Amino acid sequence: MERQLIRLNVNNQDYEIYINPKTLLVEAIRDHIGLTGTKRGCDTVSCGVCTVIVDNMAVKGCSVLAVQTEGKKILTVEGLEVDGKLQPIQKAFLDEGAFQCGFCTSGMLMSATAFLKESKKPTEKQIRDGIEGNICRCTGYNSIVRAIDAVAKGKYTEDK
Amino acid sequence: MISDFTYLRPGSAKEALQMLSKHQEDGKIICGGQSLLIIMRQGLVTPEYMIDIKRLDELSYIRFDQKKGLRIGATTTHRAIEKSALIKDKYPVLVEMEEKLASIQVRNWGTIGGNLAHADAAGDPAPVLTAMGGSVKVASASGERVIPLDEFYTDLFETAMNHDEMIVEVMVPPRPPKSGTKYQKFNLLDSDQGIVAVAATITLNGRTCKDARIVLGNAATITMRAKEAEKVLIGAALSDAVFEKAGEAAAAECQPVADIHASEEYRRHLIKILAKRMAKAAWEQAKISG
Amino acid sequence: MNKYTVINPHEPFRVLNTHVHNVDGWAKVTGRATYTFDVKLPGMLYGKILRSPHPHAKIKNIDFSKAMELDGVKAVVTGKDTLGVKQGIWRRYKDLCDEAILPVDKVRYIGEPVAAVAAVTEEIAERAIDLIEVDYEVLPAVFEPLDAIKKDAPEIHEGFERNINVTRHIEWGDVDEGFEEADYIREDWFRCGGQAHMCMETRCAVSSYTPDKKLTIYHSNQSPYYMQGLMAGVLGMREGDIRVIGPYTGGGFGGKFELDGAIFCSTILSMKCYRPVKIVFTREEDFIATKRRTPMFYYSRTGVKKDGTFCAREAKVFTNGGAYTGMGATALYLTGFFHSFPYVWKGYRYDGYRVYTNTLPSTSMRGFGAPQAMWCSEQQIEWIAADLGLDPIEMRRKNAHQEGTILPGQATIASCGIDQCFDEIKKWIKSKGKLRANRSIGISACGFMSGGIFNWFDTPYSFSSAVVTINQDGTVELHVGAQDIGQGSNTTMAIICAETLGVKVEDIKVHSGDTDHCPPDLGAWGSRQTLMTGNATKMAAEDAKKQLLEFAYAQSGLNIVYDLDIKDRWVHAVARPERGYDFGELVKKALRGKDGQKIVGRGYYTPHRKGMISPAYSYMLQGVEVEVDEETGKITLVDSMTAHDCGQPINHLGLIGQLEGAFSMAAGYGYLEYMPYEDGKLMNPNLVDYKMIRAPEMPPANIAEIDTYEPEGPYGAKEAGEGLTNPTAAAIGNALFHRFGVQMKECPIRPEMVVNALKEKAQKK
Repeated sequence: MERQLIRLNVNNQDYEIYINPKTLLVEAIRDHIGLTGTKRGCDTVSCGVCTVIVDNMAVKGCSVLAVQTEGKKILTVEGLEVDGKLQPIQKAFLDEGAFQCGFCTSGMLMSATAFLKESKKPTEKQIRDGIEGNICRCTGYNSIVRAIDAVAKGKYTEDK
Repeated sequence: MISDFTYLRPGSAKEALQMLSKHQEDGKIICGGQSLLIIMRQGLVTPEYMIDIKRLDELSYIRFDQKKGLRIGATTTHRAIEKSALIKDKYPVLVEMEEKLASIQVRNWGTIGGNLAHADAAGDPAPVLTAMGGSVKVASASGERVIPLDEFYTDLFETAMNHDEMIVEVMVPPRPPKSGTKYQKFNLLDSDQGIVAVAATITLNGRTCKDARIVLGNAATITMRAKEAEKVLIGAALSDAVFEKAGEAAAAECQPVADIHASEEYRRHLIKILAKRMAKAAWEQAKISG
Repeated sequence: MNKYTVINPHEPFRVLNTHVHNVDGWAKVTGRATYTFDVKLPGMLYGKILRSPHPHAKIKNIDFSKAMELDGVKAVVTGKDTLGVKQGIWRRYKDLCDEAILPVDKVRYIGEPVAAVAAVTEEIAERAIDLIEVDYEVLPAVFEPLDAIKKDAPEIHEGFERNINVTRHIEWGDVDEGFEEADYIREDWFRCGGQAHMCMETRCAVSSYTPDKKLTIYHSNQSPYYMQGLMAGVLGMREGDIRVIGPYTGGGFGGKFELDGAIFCSTILSMKCYRPVKIVFTREEDFIATKRRTPMFYYSRTGVKKDGTFCAREAKVFTNGGAYTGMGATALYLTGFFHSFPYVWKGYRYDGYRVYTNTLPSTSMRGFGAPQAMWCSEQQIEWIAADLGLDPIEMRRKNAHQEGTILPGQATIASCGIDQCFDEIKKWIKSKGKLRANRSIGISACGFMSGGIFNWFDTPYSFSSAVVTINQDGTVELHVGAQDIGQGSNTTMAIICAETLGVKVEDIKVHSGDTDHCPPDLGAWGSRQTLMTGNATKMAAEDAKKQLLEFAYAQSGLNIVYDLDIKDRWVHAVARPERGYDFGELVKKALRGKDGQKIVGRGYYTPHRKGMISPAYSYMLQGVEVEVDEETGKITLVDSMTAHDCGQPINHLGLIGQLEGAFSMAAGYGYLEYMPYEDGKLMNPNLVDYKMIRAPEMPPANIAEIDTYEPEGPYGAKEAGEGLTNPTAAAIGNALFHRFGVQMKECPIRPEMVVNALKEKAQKK
C-alpha cells in the first residue's frame, strides 16, 4: 500500500511522518510521533479518551484521518503546559481531584479546554453537556464539573 | 481493521464528481467520517478509492433568503449549524436537534451531508428536515437534481443516489406563517440516537390545522412519514383528544423492529406518546409564530 | 453543586483528611503517566487472540500452518504450548482451579481464547488470526443456572454434578424460632443482572521472556503479587524469576486481579519466540472475554414482628457462574453475608449455589455480591414497612447494627455510625420539602467490609507489608505492594506515612506496582488497602520514627519525663515545642550513629481472629431523588444524598471522589447497564449499546461524612468507595415503589419494564 509523507503540526511543532492514508489521527500522534498522552478506549467513537484539539475544535482522534489534519494546528495534552507551568484547567483538576485512574483525563482536559475557550459564564448544565462526549468510569463527573466551573469563574490566573 | 485504499483529495466539487464518475462503486466520498470510519473498521465498507471532500469550503455555507428558504452546503459541520444565529432565528428546531446530536467532538468534524448520506434510520437530521419539507441537491459529473427527503431513503442505510452522485446541498423551504416544527427522540442517555424519534410540523389556518407532517425516526427501516397520523390532524380543530388520536395512528402504521433496547410493542407505545407530544408542541409553536 | 458536611469531626490532623493533591496528579494531568497501554519495548511484537465462536465445543484440531506462512508472523500458540495447568485464584482449593486460559480440550464460552498470534504489526496479527483453522465438535450448551442444574443438562466441567460449582451455607441464631415469633412473613423472588467493569483502559499486557529463563511482564492489574504467583503456577517457574510491573492502571473495579487472556497469551507467545509481545484487548474483547459481575436469582423470606422488629430471614440464591470459577466463590459467600446487613436478626440462614453455564465467567466486581444482595433486601424491607404501615427509616434504625453488635460466628462490629446516617438522610429528605409531582425519593441502607480475612490464595506472606526508608536529607521512600488503580492508594499511603513520621506528603516518594522492588501485598480488592496496607504503612513509619527518636533522645539529653514528637518536619519536645531539631538535619546526624545505614522501618499486617469476613465494616445510607416520565417509563436521577461512615477519613479528595464514583457505577447497575445474552452471546459488546452514566445523567452527590473510630484501622480508618456501590440500585427501586407502588424485581430497571409494571398495576385494579 502506498504510504505518503504528511506534515502535521502538533503542539506548535511540525512533524513529518510517512503513513498509510488510513492512519487515524490518534495513531499518528501515538505511534508515529510518539506522544502517548492521548489514549484510545473504543472502536465506536463513544468514549472520548482520544480527544484532541484541531484548529480550536475538540475532535475524537479515532474518527479523523491523520491526512485530513495537514496544515491544521493540533493540540494534545502534552501541549497544555508551557515551560513546565500548568494551565488553569490542569491546576483545577489537581485541586478538585478531578481524576482517579487518569485514563480518561487527557481527553477530558482537551474537551474542557476547548469548551472553556468557547463558553462565557457556562451554567452547570452547559458544562455537563460540554463533556458529554467523554466517559469517566471512576469519578462520577462531578469533580470534573467543579474543576471546569472554577476555571470558568476565573478562580485561576495563568502564570505569567 | 480498516482496509487499505488509495487516498484522493480533489481541489473542487467538480473534480470530486469527476473522480466519482471515474471510480463509481469502487470510490467512496469521505467528509467528516464520523459514521463512515466506524463501519469501515467493522469491515462493512471497503472502498478502493477514498475521495476526501472535507476541505471543499465551496460546499460549506449557510444561506437564507425569503424566497428560496434555507440552503446549507453539504460539508457544513453540525457544530456550525448548531451555532448559527441565522438558523436559530429562522429554523430553531434545527439548532435544538443539533444540540443533542452525538457529542461536541462529533459535531465539530461531522457534516450534515455526510450524516444524511449515511442513511441511518436513527439519524437525527433526516426526520426534522423531512418534517420541514426539506430536500437534498445531489450532483454528478453530468448534472444536478433535487430529491425531496421524503423520497431520498430507499432501504436500511441506502439512498436514492447513484454511485456517481453525492449530496452538495440541503434545502429547506421558507416557513409558512403560523407553522411550528418540534423534534424529540427517546433515549436513555442524553445524546444517544433515539430508540425512536418523532419530528412534527403543524401549520395552522386560523384555528384549524392546514397542514401536518409527522415523521418517525428509527420506527422503520427508513425515515418514515406517518401519513395516517397526518390525516387525523389535517383539517381538524386541534385538541388533546386529536393529538392522542394522531399518536395512536402513528403507532399503528409504523414498522418498528425489536432489538435489545426495546420490543416492537414498546416502540409503538413510544411512537404514540412522542407523536402526540410533538404534534402538540409544534401546534404551540405554530400558534405564536409569525 | 454538591453539599459536603461532616458529622462529629475528629480533631484535625496535620496531614490526614486535609486537602492533599493526589501524588500521581502531575503525571496524570500532563499526559506523562504511562500505562501498560503505552508500553513499548525494543523488538516488541503485537499479539492477537483467536476466540471460540461456540459456547461449548471440543477442540479437535487446530491448524495454524497458513498463519505461520504469513510474512511477519513470528509465533502461533495454542493450549498445546502450555503446561495445561488449570488455575484459579482460589489456589488453596484445587477443585476451584478450573481455568486453563488457553484450553487444550474444550471451550466453554463464546470468546474464550483458543490460539494466539504474535506478529510485527497488529494488522498482520489480525490477518493471521483469520488464517487459523479450528476443528470444533460443537456440544450442547446451557446458559441459565436454573436450566444448568436440571438432570439432563450438559456437563460443563467434569465431576461437577448438575453443574453446581460452589455451595455456601451461612447460618446463625434460630431461624425457625424466629419465623414462629414473626407476626408477618413475606417472600419474594428477584433477578439481578450482570454488569461490565468497563475500565477505561482495556485489558493489556506486555510480556518479555528471555533466554536466561526470566520473565518480565507489564500488566494492567490490581495486584502485581497475585499475577506473579499465578503465572509462576501456570508456567512451573519460580516466583522470583518473574517480575510483574503494574504501571499506572486505567481502572480495575474487581476485574483485574486474576489472570486474563492478555497476560497469559502474551507470555506464552513470548516464551515461544523470545521477543516481547504486547496484547491489547479491543473494547469488544473487553466486553466479551473478561469476567463480569455475577447475575443472580434471589429468593428471600423474611419474618418481622408487627412493630417492625426483624425476626428471621432465609435466603436461597442461584448465581450464574458462567464457564469458570474466578472469584465467584467469594462473591457467593459475600452476597449471602451482606444480605443480612446492616441489621440484627434473631435467626439468619443463607444457602447459595453457584452454577456453571456456558456464558462469560462471572467474578468479583465492586461490591462483590452486595449490590445484588441489597437490591433484594432493601426493597423487600421497604415493602414490608409499607405492608405494616411503618416508617421505613425508623423500622430500619430499630434493627440496625451498633458498635458491639455480634453476628454469631461471623463478625463483631467494632465501630458503627449508621444511626447518624439515618439522621442525616432524614434531614436531607426534610430539606427537600414537597417534591415535584413526577419525582419521588427512595432510600437504602448498607454496610461493607474493609478487606477480607480469607487466605484462599494460600500466601505465606503478610497480607500487606511496607518499608519506610529515610534519606539523608529527610526525604522518604515508601515501598508498598498496594496497587493504585485510581482509587488513590499511593496518596493514602503517603498521607499515613507523612502523618506518622511528622513530615509532609511531598517528602514521601511512593514506590508501588513492581514485584522486583515492592513487598508482596494482596492488592486492590475487597476494599482492603486503606485498612491493611495503611496499617502496614503506619507500623513501618512508626518503626522508622522510633529509631530516629531514639537518636534524638540521646542527642538532646532530655529529662526522662519529657517526650519527643515530630510535626511538620520538626522534631521537638511535646511540652516545649519551640525546642527541637530540623528533621532533615537530624536524620543526617543519625546516619553516623548507624554506621552510615539509612533508617529503615518495616511494617506489616494480617488480620487475626477477626471473624469470617472482615476486621471492620463501613456503613452508609443512600437517598436518591428520581424523576419518572409516567408515559414512557424513562428514569432520570435528579438528586442524591450519601450519609457515610468510614471511620477516620484519610484522603479527603480521594474520599469524595470514591463516593461520587461509586454512586455513578451503582446507579448504572440500577437503571442503565443492561447486559443481555442470547444463546451465550453478549448482544451489546460496545459503548453505543451498553449504556453508562455520562456527565449529563449524573445528579448532585451530596455527602454527609460521619466520623467514627475503628480500632482496627490506621488512625481509625475503614473503607470508602466499594460499600457505596451496594445500596443505590435498591434506592432507585424504592423511589419507584413510593411513587407508583410497583415492585421491581429485576435490575437494571429499564423504561419498558416500568411501563409494563404500571400497565400491570392498572389492569389489576
